[in-house]
Parts: sequence; structure tokens; C-alpha cells
Amino acid sequence: MHTMQQNEDTRRMTKSPPTTSGTDSPEHLASLLARVAATQCRAAFSELFAYFAPRLQAYGTRQFGNEQIAADLVQETMTNVWHKAHLFKADKGSPATWIFTIARNIRFDFLRKNKHRQHDLSADDLWPILAEQNESLDDDYALDHDVLMQEITEYYQQLPDNQRLVIEKIYLEGKSQQEVSDSLGIPLGTVKSRTRLALQKLREMIVNHD
Amino acid sequence: MIKFHPSEEILQQFAVGDLSPALSVVVATHVDMCSHCAKQVQEIEHLMAEKFSQTAKGIGSSQMDTMLEQIFASNEPAYQVIQDTDNIISLEGKRFKLPATLARQKDRIGPWSKVPGKLYRAPVNLGSGECMNLIYMDEGSSVPEHTHKGQEATLVINGVFHDESGEYRDGDFILMNSHDQHAPQTQNEDCLTLAVLDAPMHFTSGISRLLNPFSSLFFR
Repeated sequence: MHTMQQNEDTRRMTKSPPTTSGTDSPEHLASLLARVAATQCRAAFSELFAYFAPRLQAYGTRQFGNEQIAADLVQETMTNVWHKAHLFKADKGSPATWIFTIARNIRFDFLRKNKHRQHDLSADDLWPILAEQNESLDDDYALDHDVLMQEITEYYQQLPDNQRLVIEKIYLEGKSQQEVSDSLGIPLGTVKSRTRLALQKLREMIVNHD
Repeated sequence: MIKFHPSEEILQQFAVGDLSPALSVVVATHVDMCSHCAKQVQEIEHLMAEKFSQTAKGIGSSQMDTMLEQIFASNEPAYQVIQDTDNIISLEGKRFKLPATLARQKDRIGPWSKVPGKLYRAPVNLGSGECMNLIYMDEGSSVPEHTHKGQEATLVINGVFHDESGEYRDGDFILMNSHDQHAPQTQNEDCLTLAVLDAPMHFTSGISRLLNPFSSLFFR
């Protein structure tokens, strides 16, 4: 009994540093990014903001020695996170690494704009982390296209409404993602993330059925 | 097999964004061609991010709320697409495929001009006031022996050239300082290189470099 109590205490103690607690874990932060990408969830974004904004502020202050410029860096970095969360790829690194590299790029451009060089090389040319891979569907979508055409009608009706609508327009009406974005009045990034999520779900349904 | 790589110090400065624009392009192009250095840059970014995660600076809650509101009300930033289609340049009837970073700078490549010694040169104007050129050495060409006022960074894009100290092939990165004398030449193969003269090693906006929080990580 005594030993068990001790184990309890040890466990509680190892949990106490903020970096190892559940709410700050890379997995949790990644799930928040996924929610922002899929549903533009403001609560999830607010949680990301509460975690990353003070860290970005510290980074910016160290880099620029100026709190206001640091605040601008926070604002610009997190604005990109809000709109581009669908570009985060969990298999390529942690959320902290992704957000740090966005801030690094913004710093690179800030330092050059201060020198009045508007047409200078930009950080996106060097590290295109916020560029979409391609206008057309990514390769892995294309590969699955034939299979999906055969099976899709059977399964797609089970999708959540917002995903089903996007899939209907792209695969049954043959619209481009940009056209879907325009016709539904939602950001292109949202169309892309809904497509991705819907295809994942369809894939699971098809696999489970087989 | 790439034999000559940027030093860890240069990769480090590249990853934090402290290299000059021209040298950044040369290193980024090498990284496109070299999976070894690409992995190292990823590791450095990961280390930086860990360090970045460790320090927070409080922001007032009303300021936090204002920032959040502005973000939710903001328009989606300009949409960037990677164009992989146009990455070929032609010269003297030969075609060269440019690595991704250099391909993105294709519009900044100026006209080719002939230089004595069976050489051709095209400026790459990054708008940073740096002297960056694509240099094409035809078969059996040579550059007179020379030294450099400052530093010269050279990256082999395609082909092979030699100097007194060795042979350089696709992807090799060479940094020479003012003490290095060399006389590059080609033999049976031609060679396309990207070169930056007087490449400043550091991004020179003084205070940002002094305040660079990461320098202690690699330079002890």
C-alpha cells in the first residue's frame, strides 16, 4: 500500500513540467491543428494561440530587440497558422517545428523589408513551407481516383454533410477545388482539407468493407 | 555521390535565416540536391524549435484577445503555388534541369554573355546587391588562376570541373577564401555552376546577429 502511494506521487511529479503534460504534447497540438484545418475551429485555434503566441513573442523580442515588431511577428505567424493549418503534415515534423519555421521565414522577410527592398528574394523562395504542392489534386488522390469512382457512390453518402458536398462537386460534377471554393464561398484550404478528410474516411470504409 | 558539403556552421546559419540572400540560394540549392544535408537542416530546425518552445514571454490578456479577433477577421494570405514545370534552361544547344530553389529564381536569370576561355556567364539578380552568376564552362575550358578579394561559394549544378585540389561534380559545394588560389578547368565534360563572389558569411544587420539566441547552440 505504501509503495503504491509512492508510485502515485512519482507519477504525479513526472507529469508536472508543462512540456510533458498532455495539453502541450506534440500530439495534442497536432490534433488542434487538424481541427483548425478541417472545421476552422476557433476554440482549437485559441488554444494553439495561447500556447504559441508567448513563445513567438519571446523569439521575436530576442531577434528584433523590439516588442512591437515582435508582436507583429506573432500576429503574422499565427495568421498564417489560422489560414494554412491544412499544410501542416504531422509525418514531416512537430507542430512546434512547423510554426517555428513559419516565424523564421517571416523574420527573414521583416529584416529585409526594413532595408526597403520590396522586390528582394523572399523567404518563401528558400523555404516554400506555405506553398500548396499543386493546383490539381495531389498524387495520392489521383491514384485512388478510379477506385473511388467505382465505390464512391456506395459510401459517400455516409460522410458528414460538409465533406459529402465537396466530394460530390469534385468527383461527381468534375469541378476543380478552386471552383468548389468559389461556388461554396469557402477558402480553398478548407476545400482541400475537407477533401483530404473525406478521402481518408472513404478509404477506411472501403478497406473495412473488403 | 556528393563529396563536398557546406560546413555545419553554414547549414546552421542557413536554417536560422542568417545567411545573405545569395548564399542562402546556393545552400538551399545544394540542399535540394543533397539528401544528407537536407536531413541535417531538418534536424537543426527541430533543435531550434525545441529551444524556441522553451521560452515564453507573457502577453497581456486583452492584447491576446485583440490579436485573436484580428486573426479571425483576416483575409486568407496570398495563395502560393509551387510551379515545378518550368525548370529547364538551354545554352549552346544543351539543356539543363535546375534544382527546385534555382528554378524558382528562373525569372531573375539575366542574359548569357561569352567570357574569354570558352566560358559563359549569366547574372542572377536577387535584388540584394550581391554578385551571383551562373557560369557555364564548355569542354576543355579554363579560368585563369586567381584569388578572391572576399569569399567565393560555388555549387556544381551539372557536369564536372577540376582545380589543383580536386574534382567537383553535381551537387558539390565549394567555399574559397581570399587565401585560396585556384585555376578551375574542364576536360572532356562541360560544367554548369552557380557562384557567389564576396559572399558575406553573416547576415549583417548587426543587432539581429548579436541577439541570435541560437548561436550558442553550435558555437561554444
